[in-house]
Amino acid sequence: MSIVPKETIEVIAQSIGITNLSPEAALMLAPDVEYRVREIMQEAIKCMRHSKRTTLTASDVDGALNLRNLEPIYGFGSGGPIRFRKAIGHRDLFYTDDREVDFKDVIEAPLPKAPLDTEIVCHWLAIEGVQPAIPENAPLEVIRAPAENQIYQQKDGPLIDIRLPVKHVLSKELQLYFQKIAELTLSKSNPSLFKEALVSLASDSGLHPLVPYFTNFIADEVSRGLNDFLLLFNLMHVVRSLLQNPHIHIEPYLHQLMPSVVTCLVSRKLGNRFADNHWDLRDFTANLVALICKRFGNTYITLQSRLTKTLVNALLDPKKALTQHYGAIQGLAALGHNVVRLLVLSNLEPYLSLLEPELDAEKQKNQMKSYEAWRVYGALLRAAGLCIHDRLKIFPTLPSPSPSFPSKGKGKVISTEPNKRKLGVDSSENRSPHKRLIATDGPDGGPSPMQVDRPTGDANPPQNSVRPSSSEQASDGNAPESRNAKEKDGSKGRAITRKAILDQIWKDDLDSGRLLVKLHQLYGDRILPFIPSTEMSLFL
Amino acid sequence: MDPGQVDEFVMGYLKKKGFNSAAKHLQESLHNNNGSTFSSNDYHNDPELNKLIRSFSQSENDPSRYREGYSKLRSWGYNSLDLYKHELVRVMYPVFIHCYMDLVGKGHTQEARSFFNSFRKDHEMVHLRDLQKLGGVLAPSHLQEMEFARSLRQSKVNIKICQYSYDLLIQYLHRTESTLMLGIINEHINFQVYSGQPNSASDDTEAVTIVGSFHETADHVNQKEIHWGLLEDSLEDRLEKTGGLLSDSEKGQGESKAGDMDDSKKRSAEIGKQGSSIKKLKKDKAGTATAKVARQETSTVLSSMPRVKPELAMPVMSADVEESILEDLRNRVQLSSIAMPSVSFYTFVNTHNGLNSSSISHDGSLVAGGFSDSSIKVWDMAKIGQAGSCGLQDENNQTVGLNGRRNYTLLVGHSGPVYSATFSPPGDYVLSSSADTTIRLWSTKLNANLVCYKGHNHTVWDAQFSPFGHYFASCSHDRTARIWSMDRMQPLRMMAGHLSDVDCVQWHPNCNYIATGSSDKTVRLWDVQTGECVRIFIGHRSMVLSLAMSPDGRYMASGDEDGTIMMWDLSTARCITPLMGHNSCVWTLSYSGEGSLLASGSADCTVKLWDVSSSTKLTKAEEKNGNSNRLRSLRTFPTKSTPVHALRFSRRNLLFAAGAISKPSS
Repeated sequence: MSIVPKETIEVIAQSIGITNLSPEAALMLAPDVEYRVREIMQEAIKCMRHSKRTTLTASDVDGALNLRNLEPIYGFGSGGPIRFRKAIGHRDLFYTDDREVDFKDVIEAPLPKAPLDTEIVCHWLAIEGVQPAIPENAPLEVIRAPAENQIYQQKDGPLIDIRLPVKHVLSKELQLYFQKIAELTLSKSNPSLFKEALVSLASDSGLHPLVPYFTNFIADEVSRGLNDFLLLFNLMHVVRSLLQNPHIHIEPYLHQLMPSVVTCLVSRKLGNRFADNHWDLRDFTANLVALICKRFGNTYITLQSRLTKTLVNALLDPKKALTQHYGAIQGLAALGHNVVRLLVLSNLEPYLSLLEPELDAEKQKNQMKSYEAWRVYGALLRAAGLCIHDRLKIFPTLPSPSPSFPSKGKGKVISTEPNKRKLGVDSSENRSPHKRLIATDGPDGGPSPMQVDRPTGDANPPQNSVRPSSSEQASDGNAPESRNAKEKDGSKGRAITRKAILDQIWKDDLDSGRLLVKLHQLYGDRILPFIPSTEMSLFL
Repeated sequence: MDPGQVDEFVMGYLKKKGFNSAAKHLQESLHNNNGSTFSSNDYHNDPELNKLIRSFSQSENDPSRYREGYSKLRSWGYNSLDLYKHELVRVMYPVFIHCYMDLVGKGHTQEARSFFNSFRKDHEMVHLRDLQKLGGVLAPSHLQEMEFARSLRQSKVNIKICQYSYDLLIQYLHRTESTLMLGIINEHINFQVYSGQPNSASDDTEAVTIVGSFHETADHVNQKEIHWGLLEDSLEDRLEKTGGLLSDSEKGQGESKAGDMDDSKKRSAEIGKQGSSIKKLKKDKAGTATAKVARQETSTVLSSMPRVKPELAMPVMSADVEESILEDLRNRVQLSSIAMPSVSFYTFVNTHNGLNSSSISHDGSLVAGGFSDSSIKVWDMAKIGQAGSCGLQDENNQTVGLNGRRNYTLLVGHSGPVYSATFSPPGDYVLSSSADTTIRLWSTKLNANLVCYKGHNHTVWDAQFSPFGHYFASCSHDRTARIWSMDRMQPLRMMAGHLSDVDCVQWHPNCNYIATGSSDKTVRLWDVQTGECVRIFIGHRSMVLSLAMSPDGRYMASGDEDGTIMMWDLSTARCITPLMGHNSCVWTLSYSGEGSLLASGSADCTVKLWDVSSSTKLTKAEEKNGNSNRLRSLRTFPTKSTPVHALRFSRRNLLFAAGAISKPSS
């Protein structure tokens, strides 16, 4: 009932010489003691307030006793806090640690220094509302006064709330969430749970406050964990999920995110074990990069150009490892056919000649190197093939739906069969001019449904726009449908002067034809699966 | 309940209540009609009566009934309709504390304690301090002893409640037959039922403090008329009127003097006590006597602000003092939310935790500190500034210090901690109040104690000079505030009414009123002439520590222990808006010269500037729009771990602040 137990009353009674205190009396006294103590504390708090302090001191209690007309506590204070010691053998029994003091020591001790006298120091806390940065003032970083312009804003709208910059406070829940995600990303032991986490990252609203933490986390971990393949893969998954989340506004953090992502694409070494399929990671990251460019390319015009520059540099530097080349090729390929045509195909010939010795099983003894070279070769082939396929696909004359296009997987299959390789001159080379002519005949005779699409598409390539090509690349399987849609669009725009368009088409197709020939030169038959059968029949 | 039991209980009840003859009678009749329950079946067969008797029998002797009844009521209240919930929940608190006090009063201490502890959480947010107080009440005698509890017991709480909520509550109480709760509610709550929709939960400030019978009296008191206008013919007026042509106004006053003198004499005769002192003063300085009375017609025309006559005979001001003040006013910097003041900070060092109070003179040149070792120290900052400006002399200063000459004036005389030391407006006197129950008047020119005023029975917390000097007000732990004049040993007026310590006092600019802030969480405004309480301001949730009056006399700011500052409109006694921002005690408040800014100093080591000009404008708009506004904190100036003890806007609108540096406790 009372805070003061009756045992305490009994003990106190004994200590002041009352031995025959009845238990009932103690029980009655206990609540009263508590009441009196509370009363004194209430007065002591008043004394404290009037002494302009926020910590209660012994002198306040003295003051309170004085206010209540009670006998003051006599004696000297120790000057320090009372130390309590635990009594040995008892769990909740304490006693005050009272040191014995030798009188001699006290007498012989040198006199203490006189306390410094009270003084007043004067300084400017503020000059016309601005705090000068002088040592007497609190450092400005702690709380910064609102900036000058905000003050003037007030004049216009008197109801604007001025808020001092506050520390970024994360709620407990978000902290936990972040910790959990980070843990899962790092642990790699629970793939199913990690998948759930990714889904949550990609869909949950309200994660925005965590974005800076995630970007930091990703940057840190990527720079630290280049040897840890799984970790990198997990991190890229996290990036992808963050990008997918519609509630997150990630643009301001892209500049922090991009280096990590690009690292995962073109780093010399990702993972330290042979079994680590870093090719997969590079493919995945390439798609990620493409996604980023697609989404933010419009807002950040320099984003893609900077990225392609980095990738092309990586590709064209013969000193760089083949893995890096692979990553660069994949990255460029993911960015779309126009990019490939402009940046990869133009450099294809010299590059392939460089690659040649590596590919040769006799010359390149290192199995690993050879394998890598073949990977790169495959990637190049695929990029070029998809590019040329895209070019040829636009020939509209052939109404038959395109055969199932070689997908990513097929490209790989090819690339992993080095024995089939046969780099030789093909007979089709000679015939190609004719083919070109035939091919260009097509649009003249046909209904030319692609008028609208093509001119715009042709105007774009120099700007590295990924708009049409990458979308097609991403939805290879949907090509027929999208084509149909385009045909519909095209039929609307038929009024456009046919002549100019035809010229354009002619030039375009000429380019395509030339390209095809060149590719055929370089790749031989291996390029053929990329060419739609109907086209092929025309060309070959 | 079978008839036998009922009979038994009725018998017991009658005996207990002392109706012995009735009990006897009943017993006899029971005996007589044994077997044939003839006379008693009138109440045995009436179910209503039976029920009542049953409930009586239970409530009489079972303390757990309280807990049961309350917890039922509580869960009902919290599960009620959202729209009405807050009104119903508001009823819980008085029921809760009265249940508790009933239990204590009946001696069920243990029950009471467990009841209190199990439900106190509900009310802690709003009523923490009351609960802390009540928590100590453990015996019936405490209820009698404790002022707070007694006032709660004796008074009814007013609760505004809409018709539907009221019906709900009554229905519930009847349906569940919780006569105990019904009794408590009937006994201690006074419902003010109004028709229509319930109020929104936010504007129930009045329900926050339940301090005895305050609300009734407060409502009553606040009906009284007050004249918050400035004095006629104040210095500001004269400045406006004459521009720079001081001599003209002086002449004009000289002319009107003769006529005014009679009037003022008559007035002083009415006033009696105070008047005589003024007469004396007038004799001394008859030549310059500027009677600040009358001329009603002209003044009302001159200024849009209402003007009032002083109820006290005002001291005269010497011509040169007046001139210097006018000079200051002419040079005043106009402050607003875009033009911020400069703040000069006086930091006390080496106070060894002994500085209880500090204050700054009106021109900022003198700083006084009241210390817990009973001493008062006065620094002349003008001199220190000179010494400091000479750079190399610092060393000299130190040697001077070592030689025993201090750079301050030590005033010794009190025999207890000094809780306030304030300057008279011209800075020639210091008034100090102390725990030794005395107030002392010191001269800064003579550096000596002039008078010791004895009258308070307890520690004097605060003493303040009136804006024109000569008079001063003090407030004390003895729950009174008193008005004194410098030349009298006895107080002129005693203001009694606060329910707890009076912690701070402040004069109204027209000298006709004083405001007092108290530990009972209210601020009161007193008429100096009659000594009556004319306003009660209810709204603070903890002890009021500081007060400031706006220079136009219309508004008052008060700061409390929690860091809340409230702006009050004196005429309506309503809080315009609470200023939230400080998170610890607001030790001091000060209005700028023209009243557009309010500065507040707090234990959280900041000086904050508030835009109060917009608030006054907005309140006018508010009357039309009906939406509440928030005053804005303009700036926060953090100090380097120095709680701000005192603030003062000089007449030229330079802000002075003072505080003792507190080293962070390790």
